[in-house]
Amino acid sequence: MGKGRLARLLRIAERVTYWTIAAPVLALLPAAIGYRVACWRGDWLFRSEAAKRAALASNVRLVLGDELSPGAGQATVRDWFRLTSCEAVDVMRLRRKGQPLLRLVEIRGREHLEAALAAGKGALLCSAHFGSFDCGFSMLGASGFKVTTIGRWQHKYTVGMSGTERRFWDRVYTAPLQRLRHRPNIEPWAGRIEVAAQAASALRANEVVTVSIDVPPLDGDRARAVKVPFLGGSATLLPGVVTLAKLTGAPVLMCLLHRSPDYRHQVLQISEPVPVDGGTATAFGRCAAEVSAAIAKSPAHWQYLASTADLADLGLISRGTDAPAASSSTISTPNGLQPLSAPGRPWRPA
Amino acid sequence: METIINDYISRELVQDAALLPLSDDTSLLDSGILDSLSLLQLVVFLEERFGITVGDTDLLPQNFASVQTICAYLRAREPVAHG
Repeated sequence: MGKGRLARLLRIAERVTYWTIAAPVLALLPAAIGYRVACWRGDWLFRSEAAKRAALASNVRLVLGDELSPGAGQATVRDWFRLTSCEAVDVMRLRRKGQPLLRLVEIRGREHLEAALAAGKGALLCSAHFGSFDCGFSMLGASGFKVTTIGRWQHKYTVGMSGTERRFWDRVYTAPLQRLRHRPNIEPWAGRIEVAAQAASALRANEVVTVSIDVPPLDGDRARAVKVPFLGGSATLLPGVVTLAKLTGAPVLMCLLHRSPDYRHQVLQISEPVPVDGGTATAFGRCAAEVSAAIAKSPAHWQYLASTADLADLGLISRGTDAPAASSSTISTPNGLQPLSAPGRPWRPA
Repeated sequence: METIINDYISRELVQDAALLPLSDDTSLLDSGILDSLSLLQLVVFLEERFGITVGDTDLLPQNFASVQTICAYLRAREPVAHG
């Protein structure tokens, strides 16, 4: 057996063991211990996954430029691995209707969401692939809101992933998150023209719909994408959240989940409604600016930092940069984890 | 009805002028005129203009494939307020 193949199999075994045995046990321990151990695992990944570490370091440098010192850049990369490990514990704490995790998450700005819903047109929560964002949406569901997410479960679209792997991620990741949401995810994809109307249907029922706006547009959607200032450069993003708000009258509120320095406590910050008056690109630029500011402040929270291909699709870096070859790996599934049997393989179709 | 819908789509949703004038049997999906958000825009228009509610189960590509199929879908519903 080749050395590379053996290393890959060991990585698979480690991930399966972590998600199916270690993380569920850590979620039963006192939070201080559980998240501490998750961070140790993140530190171990940081040391052992040299290719991914190099890719992340390169992307941090390419995207954030000179804003971070080399030391801070390394700390960001290490933190990215830690946050990835912590997310597994978050997911496992969603048992018992999310109460174990809810005890660790402070929802700030709840009154803004309640006021928005009082108007009867639903609410659009504008978010990003930032921290344990998926858990954040489910936390809102656990706290009494009817939440539906517009977003793809990444493992369902990862090229080359086996059926066994898809079922694995369905069981350990999707199922616990989905249980606390009101409707199945509305999953945009080429040819699915009903997506926005389905979201509008949820909004008409005065429900909460979440949208992560930092996704690279699919090829078929590029004509409708807009360029907005983002992380000191410009990013090509889809302004669908604003269009949806204009068509339905639903307010747009920013919603981002921040992990505190102790790694176990988190704050789900909900903003007041973002004005959507003026042109679509202008209004959307306000949302993108909020996301950009959050990433600039806590770059390790941003999952796309692991994906050179996606950063290029967003227009934040050029294709053919000097990023290490392994950096063509993407955020894959879930929250930065590689497909079990295909480390480095892009999750988005070529 | 065809004229009303054709006019609306031509005016509000067609972004490529080369697709105009729009014929009633032009595929709105294959030509890229309709995507997820423009379909929602069209649905909102149809609901307001013809006094109907388009349910989730009616959001099928075959119902919105062309001006003709949209009109067939609307005619299959009662009541439809013309004019």
